[in-house]
Amino acid sequence: MSSSREGAGGADGSADGPKSRGLRIFSHFGLPKTPGHQIKGDIHPAIIKLGLQFSEFKICGANARCIATLTAFKTVIQDYVTPPHNTLSRHLMTHLSPQITHLVNARPMSVTMGNAIRQLKLEISDSDIDLPEQDAKDELCQKIDNYIRDRIIIADEVIEDLAVKKIKEGDVVLTYARSSLVEKILLRAHSQNKHFSVIVIDSRPLLEGKTLLHSLTSTIPPIPCTYALLPALPSLITDADVVLLGAHSLHANGSVYSRAGTAMVAMLAKEHSVPVMLCCETYKFSETVMLDGFGKNELAPVKFSPGAPKSNSNLEVLNPLYDSTPASCITAVVTEVGLIPPTSISSIPLALGRTTL
Amino acid sequence: MTRRVVILNTDIDAVVCSIERSQTLPADLEMADLEIYASYQRLLENEDLSTPLAAILALTEMMERSNAGTMFELLNELKGGAEALSRQSSNPIGLNAGCELFIEFITLFPHDAATFSDLKTELIQQGRQYAEQALTYRTKIAELAFDFIKDDSVILTHSYSRVVLQTLLMAHKRKRISVFVTEARPRGMGIKTAEKLTAVGIPCTVVLDSAVAYAIEKVDFVLMGSEAVVESGGLVNAVGSNQIAIIAKAANKPFYALAESYKFHRMFPLSQYDLPSHNPRLLSFPQSLNSTRRSSFGRRASESASTPIKITQEDIAQNNPDVDYTRPDLISLVFSDVGSLTPEGVSQYLVGMFAG
Repeated sequence: MSSSREGAGGADGSADGPKSRGLRIFSHFGLPKTPGHQIKGDIHPAIIKLGLQFSEFKICGANARCIATLTAFKTVIQDYVTPPHNTLSRHLMTHLSPQITHLVNARPMSVTMGNAIRQLKLEISDSDIDLPEQDAKDELCQKIDNYIRDRIIIADEVIEDLAVKKIKEGDVVLTYARSSLVEKILLRAHSQNKHFSVIVIDSRPLLEGKTLLHSLTSTIPPIPCTYALLPALPSLITDADVVLLGAHSLHANGSVYSRAGTAMVAMLAKEHSVPVMLCCETYKFSETVMLDGFGKNELAPVKFSPGAPKSNSNLEVLNPLYDSTPASCITAVVTEVGLIPPTSISSIPLALGRTTL
Repeated sequence: MTRRVVILNTDIDAVVCSIERSQTLPADLEMADLEIYASYQRLLENEDLSTPLAAILALTEMMERSNAGTMFELLNELKGGAEALSRQSSNPIGLNAGCELFIEFITLFPHDAATFSDLKTELIQQGRQYAEQALTYRTKIAELAFDFIKDDSVILTHSYSRVVLQTLLMAHKRKRISVFVTEARPRGMGIKTAEKLTAVGIPCTVVLDSAVAYAIEKVDFVLMGSEAVVESGGLVNAVGSNQIAIIAKAANKPFYALAESYKFHRMFPLSQYDLPSHNPRLLSFPQSLNSTRRSSFGRRASESASTPIKITQEDIAQNNPDVDYTRPDLISLVFSDVGSLTPEGVSQYLVGMFAG
């Protein structure tokens, strides 16, 4: 897998090209990088560290990555010194750009990071030219803190409140893989002494559901849980009263980009008329349209597929990390501005970044 | 909160209602709460006022009585009043929509009056003006829906809805239409519609609720009133609407909903059982009922197995829902005074109004 780019051209099925590695039609997918990828230019140590954490999947998940990126940028901004004959508002971005490129090389940028960075760029260009440098830097860091607080932390709390209200006494909640937000919702519902049980559906290669299962069963008293892999879903979906899902991003046509397997869970739930609630902060909104999971995706690193065939070179391993769920399979999106249908996200000014909280 | 007062229209229900009311009105209900509910009930006696408008007017009257000195106090009082109304009503969905709209309006109203009492007078006047203006919405909706009614159409409608009635009466003046109207058990309000339509000479047949699938092939489209249009773009209406929508979808007939914009409600039901009107008593099986409950089937059956079991209409109505929820994907268009909207359009309008 690691050399798939070189082999991308040889996968046209010709008999004399048995060395082919990587399928040509998937060659545009974000490819996993080797951990020690090259450091080009003046990269801040905090960013180098973060890059390693990203490529090793030590920091994983849209919210965690966004918070980690912004926190690292705060260090970068504090350590930055404006060169002579330049102003902070004009020069800082050129200093940040290679840092961003480094992170993107480690792992393709998430929509959340993209949105946050766009907001940061706006704040930098808006910062007052006459402000002393340290003040300007402090103000930027304050704005970053506010962004994290308003768009992620407070938003999550509001979403928890809204979603918990929809979990009724005795419900069976089904969830897929692990979303930090869904985990918080379930724990909050549990802390309010609601009695409900959870079905955690999981899938290779990441098996993130195990982490969720661990945290749900470590509560006192533990939440009754069932853990199953994706192939067992059809026999379990009939027991579920509601499906709670997390998201990587939500697109303008209402389709949801989330962990591979989510689409299957949502479609099966629709088939069995189980309501599907997607929990998603408005800052995960992307103005692009997503039609399927092939246009844009990311591949899981090799270390997550240890059984990858080595001897038979005609067999390829393809582990896309994400898939796209059509809007018709989602009953409601729980956002910090309320429950909305997935297609209405584009009418929320907050999601478009037109207003600030 | 176990207190429930059921206010229904038919005579049988009135008896049940008076019994329930005497039992369930506890002393801790405050005077103001009772007062607002009384004025709400009085307003509802006006044939033209629907529940959201009656709620708005009841809140306006409450403002007149109020001696709040600040906006904060006034808003708190109004919120309390809205809560009291919704607590005392068996089916609070419609009135909640009205209260929500009115409180939102008050909150956003520009505070540029010289004194607070001036502002209050202004607000009261605005409330009355809105209610007055809102009464013209039905004509507007009728005009919008009129374009969709072709000459010689056969229309199916459900239960009794003032806006549907107005639309049909208007269509009758210029086009030939015939109407199927469902009986709409348990209240049988469909008969009222049929009587009013027959009186003006519209060919009209009452269809059993169970015969909708039989009749649907003869129907050109369905016109449905609504109690509330919710954020998903779906609607909450008299029970039976959902099954008509499903049948219309299966038969590929358009399903048009008519709703004044004050019925747009910021609520997102995930399923029938997620509606605020749902409670465990609905659709419960006799054995799960409390055995001391009066007139439960279970007790009768166990006490006197030899005498034949009688199930009366009231018994049936008691365990059954008043309203149901129709999913947005079953609705073709929603005609309202803000335009003809697709269900997505409705949800975008609502999100824009309240979440902006």
